[in-house]
Amino acid sequence: MINIEIDGKHIETENGSTVIEAAHKAGIAIPHFCYHKKLSIAANCRMCLVQVEKAPKPLPACATPVTEGMKVFTHSDQAVKAQKGVMEFLLINHPLDCPICDQGGECLLQDMSVGYGGGHSRYQEEKRMVLSKDIGPLVSAEEMSRCINCTRCVRFGQEIGGKMELGQAFRTEHAEIMSFVSGTVDSELSGNMIDLCPVGALTSKPFRYKARSWELSRRRSISAHDSLGSNLAVHTKNNQVLRVLPIENEDINECWLSDKDRFAYEGLNTEDRLTKPMIKQDGKWQEVEWQVALEYAANGLRHIANGAGAEQLGALATGGSTLEEMYLLQKLMRGMGSDNVDFRLRQSDFSADGKQQGAPWLGLSVADISRADRLLIVGSFLRKDHPVLAARIRQAVKKGLQVSLIHSVDDDQQMHIAHKAIVAPDALVNTLSQVAQAVAAKQTEGIAGSLVSGERVAVLLGNFAQQHPQAAQLQTLAQQIANATHGKFGFLGEAANSVGGYIAQAVPGAKGLNAASMMASPRKAYVLLNVEPELDCANPQQAMAALQSADTVIVLSAYKNKALDYADVLLPIAPFTETSGTFISTEGRVQSFKGAVKPLGEARPAWKVLRVLGNLLKVDGFDFDTSEVVRDEALKGVDVSIKLNNAITGVEVKAEVSAAGMQRVSDVPIYTTDAVVRRSAPLQATADAATPLVWMHSEELNNIGVKSGMNVKVSQGSGSVKLACRADDKLPKGVVRIAAGHSATAALGAMFGTITVERA
Amino acid sequence: MNKLINFFKSFLLLELLKGMSVTGKYFFARHITVEYPEEKTPQSFRFRGLHAQRRYPNGEERCIGCKLCEAVCPALAIKIEVAERADGSRRTTQYDIDLTKCIFCGFCEESCPVDAIVETRVYEYHGEKRGDLYYTKEMLLAVGDKHEEQIAKDRAADAKYR
Repeated sequence: MINIEIDGKHIETENGSTVIEAAHKAGIAIPHFCYHKKLSIAANCRMCLVQVEKAPKPLPACATPVTEGMKVFTHSDQAVKAQKGVMEFLLINHPLDCPICDQGGECLLQDMSVGYGGGHSRYQEEKRMVLSKDIGPLVSAEEMSRCINCTRCVRFGQEIGGKMELGQAFRTEHAEIMSFVSGTVDSELSGNMIDLCPVGALTSKPFRYKARSWELSRRRSISAHDSLGSNLAVHTKNNQVLRVLPIENEDINECWLSDKDRFAYEGLNTEDRLTKPMIKQDGKWQEVEWQVALEYAANGLRHIANGAGAEQLGALATGGSTLEEMYLLQKLMRGMGSDNVDFRLRQSDFSADGKQQGAPWLGLSVADISRADRLLIVGSFLRKDHPVLAARIRQAVKKGLQVSLIHSVDDDQQMHIAHKAIVAPDALVNTLSQVAQAVAAKQTEGIAGSLVSGERVAVLLGNFAQQHPQAAQLQTLAQQIANATHGKFGFLGEAANSVGGYIAQAVPGAKGLNAASMMASPRKAYVLLNVEPELDCANPQQAMAALQSADTVIVLSAYKNKALDYADVLLPIAPFTETSGTFISTEGRVQSFKGAVKPLGEARPAWKVLRVLGNLLKVDGFDFDTSEVVRDEALKGVDVSIKLNNAITGVEVKAEVSAAGMQRVSDVPIYTTDAVVRRSAPLQATADAATPLVWMHSEELNNIGVKSGMNVKVSQGSGSVKLACRADDKLPKGVVRIAAGHSATAALGAMFGTITVERA
Repeated sequence: MNKLINFFKSFLLLELLKGMSVTGKYFFARHITVEYPEEKTPQSFRFRGLHAQRRYPNGEERCIGCKLCEAVCPALAIKIEVAERADGSRRTTQYDIDLTKCIFCGFCEESCPVDAIVETRVYEYHGEKRGDLYYTKEMLLAVGDKHEEQIAKDRAADAKYR
């Protein structure tokens, strides 16, 4: 520890910290633009100049390390004169167009100029002009003349995003921020540049000119689109969500937010929002009152339960549903005598059910990932499935974390991967099993060597591993490795409430059918909560067939979508911004939120709809007044952490011989993961949301006689689609990579298994 | 003796003359009564009457939709909606002033960075229904177009004090 004095205040600070860090810790404000606590130090804005005793000239506080006995003056005549001088220089070229600037009202430069700017400008000459740039559908670089060249956005790309997509070209007065060869910024974290930009140079494109910052009401909420549970603020005006910003939480999302969380709100009020209950009579849809629709739905369920038997009822929810919704859904089904309820729609292996000791979770806290020194990631499209978590891992890698990857595709994770094994899906178990054996034998090379040499080891199973047909075996092997290395193992949860689903018991009991078997042996009646089966299920073909053959399908959804084809009742429910609820993040953190705006039209929160359905069906214990009461009942007053347990016993690991033919590898593209995201126009305009391609090794393409870029016909099960193919020599041979969860590939079958590709 | 004085006072109509002298004084003095509506009082160039939206000489509306007037309005009489126009500029799609709420404080005028919203010298307007005093953007622009010459003159006169 070092003792320094700032403005006469005695401060004890860590060795190696800078003056600005010490000042901020002591609550002393030093004006700054280019300095950001999460980014490297550039010291190019010069706004933070302070006077230091015995230094002949003012020094930049952000780049001056503290030394014992240092005396700093932030408001002395010399310091203030320097700061005012810098401000005058910054304002020389900054357009004074605050009234039309989207940053106006929340602009660092605007605020600072009140404190340090002059009343009028001495500058008479012409101002610098920088041409606007198109850097994609999310971030607007329309007004680059406003840029003060702090390079926060450049450093963000290099350091946090993992890829330098913006850079500063030219020198002195001609310096400007631009993308490479008029490319776009495609990072899945690009929206953070908007927050980082201290002026209005980089602003939100969808939010452009929508509102001024002072008009917005801010409501706390929780991310509904990935499992991290990012804290966010929903900004609303006139009962409409206008933008979403992160709320800083060092243990979860730090100060970042993924583009998915930030821009998904654009999908909330689209054309196909369901705003009135609808029922299908004589093949025709008609809008009806809630009472009619609910009674119709209740009668439908009662009819099946009394006639064909309660086991003919099945209920499915997405992992993005709230704890309350899932709890009431399973309570309703169990109250009617059916055990068929599940939320793991994309999972294909359910053999872990009953062999698992608790709810599968991350296995360690998110903050602990930063402290780990060895990490093995199995089957994860890490950067796309968990963008903010990937950024955290990227930071940890820079501080010495060794990451190894076992997967079926070799996407650029934009971080240093120490060891990787890229194998076909059917070889995944084998490969992991070899690693487990090598770890047990204390090998010193490769993935095993890396893990054995670590002190704080973690093995994480990604979405791909959870959806894998041998998921339980992968889990068992991960457990073996973790035990052998005295480390932790767990799951990178797939959806916002992947842990919550287990806690809410929205999983089948011993007698019940799981998501896959409910589709394999079709039920007579289904209740779907938030589900778009053609996109959300592991096998869309099978799911659609099952739903089409059912007598009654009750859909609780915020959108009309394809449900018009197979449903009998459509009940409009509120998406997460319009309802109160709880998400349990992948690290087991219980976070409740309230609705930010009123439900659109006649839509109602799903927990209320389910409650009334329960009442109409005369199921006991459905008298809830608030979602908090539902939550408390679901959690049963027990700390959730007690229920979290990844331990698994009794799964036999057997290497399977690969089947003949090509194997499908499916990722769920980042912007097709849930109903709201799929409808967000700006997200759908990004490069990540492009129509899926058929990726194969170039030799495999040669074998079927097509060239990269040509159209191929892909057939699986009863369906086939025509898509363009592309060569990816990093893929293992015998593998076809086709995205799932996308309307272009919804006609295909299961996410894993054999698939045929031929010349179109 | 008093009786005699009173007799002469009343005989010579002295009281009357006294009164008439006041009348006479005001009869010849400068008149201050204004014969409204034939006559009108003089107005300051800072007079705060009916609002107007101004245009630039090329016909382009001045308002850029910064919403500062909306934010500063103490009576919450202004309602603005903004969108990007086809040419990329920031423009209002709705600019309403509810004159029944307005207290004519002039803050809107003072906060406007482009002198778009101004208060004119016009005070002779009325509404027969409450809705008549709900001025929309088109109405405000029309007021501005009609009185632009006077508005410009008044702004010029006030400029050196601002």
